[in-house]
Formats: sequence, C-alpha cells, structure tokens
Amino acid sequence: MEPDTAIGGPHNRFPSTHLSLIEAAAAGLPNDALDRVIALYWKPVYKFIRFKFRKDNEDAKDLTQGFFTTALQRDFFARFDPSKASFRTYLRMAVERFAANEHAAANRLKRGGDARFEPIEEQAATTGSPEEVFEREWERQLFALALDDLRAHCDASGKQLHFRIFEAYDLADAHRPSYADLAARHGIPETSITNHLAWARRTLRQLVADRLRGVTSGERELREEMRRVWI
Amino acid sequence: MDLSDAVLDRLRHVAALPDLAGTRYELESEIGRGGMGVVYAARDRDLDRRVALKVLDVPLAGEAQLIARLEHPAIVPIYETGTLADGRVFYAMKLVAGAPLDRFRAGSPALAERLRVIRRVGEALAFAHARGAIHRDLKPQNVMVGEFGEVYVMDWGVDAVAGTPAFRAPDAQLDQRSDIYALGALLQFLLPAAAPPALRAIAAKGMNADPAARYPDVPALLADIERFQEGAAVEAWSEPLWHQLRRFGSRNAVLLWLLVAYAAVKFLLFFLRTL
Repeated sequence: MEPDTAIGGPHNRFPSTHLSLIEAAAAGLPNDALDRVIALYWKPVYKFIRFKFRKDNEDAKDLTQGFFTTALQRDFFARFDPSKASFRTYLRMAVERFAANEHAAANRLKRGGDARFEPIEEQAATTGSPEEVFEREWERQLFALALDDLRAHCDASGKQLHFRIFEAYDLADAHRPSYADLAARHGIPETSITNHLAWARRTLRQLVADRLRGVTSGERELREEMRRVWI
Repeated sequence: MDLSDAVLDRLRHVAALPDLAGTRYELESEIGRGGMGVVYAARDRDLDRRVALKVLDVPLAGEAQLIARLEHPAIVPIYETGTLADGRVFYAMKLVAGAPLDRFRAGSPALAERLRVIRRVGEALAFAHARGAIHRDLKPQNVMVGEFGEVYVMDWGVDAVAGTPAFRAPDAQLDQRSDIYALGALLQFLLPAAAPPALRAIAAKGMNADPAARYPDVPALLADIERFQEGAAVEAWSEPLWHQLRRFGSRNAVLLWLLVAYAAVKFLLFFLRTL
C-alpha cells in the first residue's frame, strides 16, 4: 500500500490565537476557517473514506479533495448548528453522505453496478470501526499540528533546549531516557529537566486548545472536545 | 510528524496533568473524573497531609467563593482555591475516605439508614440555599458516606451547564428548585424496590417536572420524610382509606390492644352475668 498522502493543508499559516468557527464566519473569514479545518481534518477524512468505502489511495485522495472543494462551494459552515452536534461529528457525517453519494454514482457507471473493492491490507491490521479510525486520526493530527506549533514556538523564542528535552522524553517511542541521563547529556541539573518538561507540556496543552478553538463553535464545544482529548 | 499510538496516548496523558509548579502540592494519583474536571489525590508539602485536588476545566463562577466559605458538617471543606501555571483553576479539599452513594446503596443498608443519609444531604442543601448557594449537580457520585457514617456532599456547582441527566431538573434555569428535583431523584435512587408508597410519592413530588409543583424548599421535603418516619400522613400522598386505617392502627397499636382487651373483659362479664 502506498504511504499516506502528504497533502494536509498549510501548517504555519494560522495566527497563534484562533477565532472560533462562529467568530470566523461572523468576521467574513470562511476561507480562513476552511484552511484550519482542512489542516486538521484532511487526514482523518482521507482515512475514513479509505476504510469506510474501501477506496484505494488515489480514489480516497480524490474524494477527500472533492469533499473539501464541495464544502467550500456549499456554504458548509453556515449550515453547522452547534446545538445539534459537535463540528467533528457534523463534518464526519457530511463526509459520509458525500462519499456515499459519490460511491453510488461511481458504481452506477460500472456495467451491472458491481462495485470493485480494493483490498486494503492495512484494514486487517487496524482495529475499530471507520468512525473510530476517524476519531483516532483526528486526535493524531491534532497533536501533530500542535507539536509543529510547539517546535515553531520554541525556535522563535530561543527554547530549542526545552523542545529537545521534551522530544527525547515524551516523544520517545521506546527507551525513554531518565532525567539523570538527560541532565548529563545537556549539562543542566535534573530540576531543570523537570521544569523544561513541565513548560513544554503546559505549552503543548495551550497549543492543542488553540488548534481546537479554531475548529469549534465556542467555549462550550471547545471544553467538550478538550475533555475528549485528555486521558 | 507521524505519531505512534503509544506516543499519542502519552501526549494526551502528560499534557492533561496539572502543572503544580509554584503550589504546595505534589500529585499522587487521579481519583475521579467529572463533568467539570478531574480530581487527584495530592500531598500538601507544607502541612504534610493528603488532600483532594480538583482541577477544573471551566472558569470559576461568581458563587465559588461563597461555596468555599460554607462551613457545615456535611459539606466537604475547601482548604484553598488557586490558579495553576497552565491557567486552570483548582480547589484543594479534604480527602474523604468512604463510599460514594451508589456503592453505599449496593451494600443494601436498612431503610432508616438510607433516610438518614438523605436527610443529611438535605440539611447541607438547606444550609447552602439559606446562604444563596446552590449545588447544580447533585448525584450519587457527589455524596460520600464516610467510614464513621458521616455524610459529605461534594462538588458544589460551579458551572450552569453541568448536571447529570437522571438527576438534573428539566429547568431552563437552574436554581434552588433544581436542587430539590435532584434531592427527590436521589431519594428515589436510594429507595429499595419494596419502598413504601409514601416515600415514593415524596421522591416524585420532589422530581415534579413543574418547579412550582415541587416542595417549596428543602426543609419542606425533609419535613415530609420526618412525617413518614413518625407514622404521620405525608403531604405528597393522598393515601387511600384502608391505608389510613392501617397507619392509624400501627401508630396506635397499644391503645387499640387496650380497647380490645377492655371490650373482651366487658363481654366476658356480660356473658358471666347472663349465666
């Protein structure tokens, strides 16, 4: 299987404090809001389409691109009602409708309507429903974007050491070094390791919240999404 | 940046931990999670004691300071409130050892014991209401029964959007009557399957969908429970005649037995005289 697409919207074009979707729409910035949504949702939507409709990489990319293009054309944000569902759920259901229609249309074009499903080896190794895959990818992309923001913030504020320590400790997939190891490696006391890590985690939390603020309707939905994110 | 599942879960966890830098507390473990935040067990370094630290993910409402000042034996005392380095608000409170009400009920306590707990909860509510504070999220998980039988009502509301569906009043605006609804729901939750209809009626009146049809205040609900316990008629229930007679009988058993004995003696004397 081909690797996931690298398309995912621009990562560094957003202001550090995002307007909520509703505020953005009210301020006449729907394209800006769409950019933020695409940055976070492109990969989850792509994966959802792949797993839900068993599309190959190219078809899933085309459908994902098609969905966001349609959303841009059809006043997608104006129809979002925060009292009915979270924006995340609203968008997933919209993707499902869009992709189902496209899928059905594509099948009608084929003689006899026999759908051809691409075998997706990855599916066998993935547990959970397409909806769960969507949620998981959403969380993954949210943190990936916030980590990009954290790295950029550290670079801009001369806190590269903070990021290196955080990267070595909290982003380690295996063999997490001890505080003593990190202190010796960087020539600083262990208490500084504690402080640097606390700062990075605190800042990451704020950046995650900031990313979420840009794709939610207001404080209440933001709080609910934040509760989902933390474990 | 591609994140593995393990790293993603770690980030979700570490970024959520409260940053206690600059406070006198050391984090021990998470002990509960609610609608408004997470409660941790922590150690107060200055006083060398364990506390419960509630970290909120909502801003403090205006009445939070009022709630913090409530001093009542059934209200968990708040030692301190503050703001963490990450901007979240926290409460440090007494760490209560005991069982939440759902676990208490699972132990099948006697009816009198269940009613004692409800009355203690009601007394705490009445105390708070008299001082202008309301709970907003009364539910079994927010009532603890301690190892010595003491009852604590916790998590006094700081957020109007809180509330647990089964215990939350359907009121548009939460006020004291909404707490009365929750108290009725709590009574219903605590009643055993074979509970007397009078008690069920008290719970139902407390939980009336129309706030005006509920008890006017918490003491009125407690007074009805007290009436039941004394064998008197409760305000919430128009009991059938046979039930009134039975209740009269059980309240006046001694008098009735005396009357029966007197009648029996009179009958015996009359019978002997006619021989």
